[in-house]
Amino acid sequence: MSISRRKFLGWLGAASLATTLGKSAEAASNKQFGGYPGSMGVLFDNTRCIGCRKCEDGCNKVNELPAPEKPFSDLSLLENHRRTTSKEYTIVNRYDDLGNEEGPHYRKVQCNHCLEPACASACFVRAFSKTEQGAVTYDESVCVGCRYCMIACPFEIPAYEYDKALSPRVMKCTMCYPRISKGLLPGCVEVCPTEALTYGRREDLLWIGRERIRRFPDRYVNHVYGENEMGGTSWLYLSGVPFKDIGMREDLGITPAPSLTSGALGAVPIVAGLWPVLLTGIYAISRRKDRIAENEKQAALNAALAKASAEAETTLSQALQKAAREKEAAIEQAVSKALEEAAKAQERSDSDPEEDIKKPSKENA
Amino acid sequence: MVYSKTDKDFVKMKKGCILLSWTGIVVSVIAVSIFLTAVCGAALVKLPKDTGEARADIITIDSIKIFGKLERSPVNFFHQKHTAALDKKNQSCSACHLSEDNRMSYLYMRLKNTTRQDVMEIYHTGCIACHRETAAAGEKSGPVTCGNCHRDKTTVRSSWQPIGLDKSLHYRHVRANQEKCELCHHQYDEVTQKLFYAKGKEGTCRYCHLDKAREKTISLRSASHLQCIDCHRQKQSKNENAGPITCGGCHDQTEQEHIEKVKVIPRMKMNQPDFVLVKTFNKEIGESNPTPRMDMVPFNHKAHETYNDTCRVCHHADLDACVRCHTVQGSKEGDHVKLEQAMHRLNASQSCMGCHESHQSDPNCAGCHSSFENKRQQDSSACKNCHMVPRALVSGEAGQADQKKIAAATLEYREAVTATYDNEVIPETVMIGTLMNQYEPVKMPHRKMVVAMVDNIKDKKLANYFHHEKGTVCQGCHHNSPATETPPRCANCHGKPFNPKEPFKPGLMAAYHRQCMECHRAMGIEKPVETDCKACHRERG
Repeated sequence: MSISRRKFLGWLGAASLATTLGKSAEAASNKQFGGYPGSMGVLFDNTRCIGCRKCEDGCNKVNELPAPEKPFSDLSLLENHRRTTSKEYTIVNRYDDLGNEEGPHYRKVQCNHCLEPACASACFVRAFSKTEQGAVTYDESVCVGCRYCMIACPFEIPAYEYDKALSPRVMKCTMCYPRISKGLLPGCVEVCPTEALTYGRREDLLWIGRERIRRFPDRYVNHVYGENEMGGTSWLYLSGVPFKDIGMREDLGITPAPSLTSGALGAVPIVAGLWPVLLTGIYAISRRKDRIAENEKQAALNAALAKASAEAETTLSQALQKAAREKEAAIEQAVSKALEEAAKAQERSDSDPEEDIKKPSKENA
Repeated sequence: MVYSKTDKDFVKMKKGCILLSWTGIVVSVIAVSIFLTAVCGAALVKLPKDTGEARADIITIDSIKIFGKLERSPVNFFHQKHTAALDKKNQSCSACHLSEDNRMSYLYMRLKNTTRQDVMEIYHTGCIACHRETAAAGEKSGPVTCGNCHRDKTTVRSSWQPIGLDKSLHYRHVRANQEKCELCHHQYDEVTQKLFYAKGKEGTCRYCHLDKAREKTISLRSASHLQCIDCHRQKQSKNENAGPITCGGCHDQTEQEHIEKVKVIPRMKMNQPDFVLVKTFNKEIGESNPTPRMDMVPFNHKAHETYNDTCRVCHHADLDACVRCHTVQGSKEGDHVKLEQAMHRLNASQSCMGCHESHQSDPNCAGCHSSFENKRQQDSSACKNCHMVPRALVSGEAGQADQKKIAAATLEYREAVTATYDNEVIPETVMIGTLMNQYEPVKMPHRKMVVAMVDNIKDKKLANYFHHEKGTVCQGCHHNSPATETPPRCANCHGKPFNPKEPFKPGLMAAYHRQCMECHRAMGIEKPVETDCKACHRERG
């Protein structure tokens, strides 16, 4: 009573179809989140950036971060490509070796404030939230320090306070959420001497970006980075050189991080819920089949036994009857023999007593 | 009685095993496929870059491409290696190239591409046989197995550069051939189906010989190799001073730099005009002279000849007047590019404005012009820089000769001097003290900058024509307001940054910084360094 290969594969197929069904249905729909209407953002224009690090300075001051080892006016730090840390929410990197493209090119790095943040989707205590103003904020009071957000972020932005023994936090740019809520500019934007950073409503910034490209098509790469990357980000970028040349990932696609994981995470209830049911079902069915087979066997056995005993009984009774008959016949024979002997003896003596003796023998028969 | 207890257990266990092994197989198949995809992906990304010797003589043999898809990779053939080897053996080009009517075919061992099979055979038998022979003679030889010629990858870099006859090279050919233009120039007679020479109608090869061969016209590549190499070889055989016959001789980047340049090149004798009024109608197709709507444009043909290296820069399809194809209404011959577009289109190198605009990338011009959007200026004074001959003057009967005279007179009369205000009117220094939270006011040497800018362009005729009005030069910085001696202050327009109502107007701080820095950058002025705040601003004590 084993399961056939065909059946097993059939079940497997049905189970895997069930797990993917939810995802493909979503892909076919036009569900898309284009950001909160009127949410704010910042447009970074790489052709205007002069690499002065004033934005780093401004960020440090407004966020009251610890003073750096070297002053912000020291541009030797640009020799190396840095990344954001728990003490530097934003940094500027310089890219020199771009072949035929002239002069140094700069790129400012900070949280991109995704429209659908990967960090928020990875966080199981909901420490991150995308605010309506566009900023992705962090609530240290609920954070458990799992650092899934750091793994989830495709831009490698969140940083951890590894040097803190007690209650370390995940640190990243907040788009100066407290300041923009008050109507002030983000710290970096305010101090930028060339307006390489433009603060405004995201939809306006997209228009400004496209318009700059239209007016100066030779100056820009015809793309506003962040318009669609990872489903769109609140921080947008214009560049005079290919974005990959200034260390920006061009392989991210336009799917928001949460929908990338929602397929897998959505399968968890199915795997956790459906598979046990399915496997138990398979087990139950095979158990039932076993049981039925067992019952059938038992019934057949019983029937066989019953048949055998019935047969034995008949044989016995027949034998008994036969024995009885034989016994009777033997008695009769013996009686008639005795009577004959007696009659013979009577003939020799008297004829009357012959009749008297015949009567009881007839009764016995 | 029938099944013992151990037997039952065994059957169950077996079922479990089958289930488990199937799951295992499925999981491992998925895992392997994911792994393979990742590996393949990584392999595709990590292709090594071509780093090898640079050659100008790489010929990609893919001749049978014209008969259909290639079965193996094309062969990279190094021509110079083979000519050198043949030289050693005292063999000539005819070892590989057949000739017909004293003209050497540039194809290998054939005059025509006949069939796929034939062409393939010619290469395979020819190449392999020669390589075998050479090897048998104990000399260094080429490959004889498939994969050694049909390689998927190459480590050799191409240093091949296209070459054309610039004015200097053309003149050297004219001189060497005693002005016998017919040696190279010809035309095709449709009736007799023969080439003939038409004096005075010489155009560039490219007018007829296009990149790809047409029915009766061979490609530019074939034509130039036939014509050039043939002639060079003949001259060489006569021990005359001749041009190169090797690939690198013409096409190698470094060898091209060594081609002799003639400094003073006499004007080409093509009966071309000195001055003309740009024609707006085509008599040849029966158009009569309509009353012009715009004032006419005088054109200094003679001067423009010196600005460009070949006639093709403007006369891109033939040597006729632009209007023959680019009619006012547009015609099929002119690819429906109208006369207006042919003259004004900005992104075309052949149009007047397209070419003039490209001069703005000169560092002396780019300081101002790189910050302007590339577009037609619509105010009438800009149009009049070119449209300067009153239409009334030429309407009607003005003959060709008269027109040329009018054109010459107008152009001679035109002032080509960059004008600006008198030094006394130009402020010597400007104090920028609007951003004083951290720094002392900036003292800008205003007059020195103006003088330097004007000085930079004073020898540029084109620039001088377009900056002849006082105040035009000032508008590089004092933009978006009329040219005047007393332009508004920067702060009159630039104020608070990031005003959603004026998203393209920078705030005052950015306006100052960008105006200075972007101009300096475009002009190639390295000092002061952009990030050196103290170079311009003195810190407040």
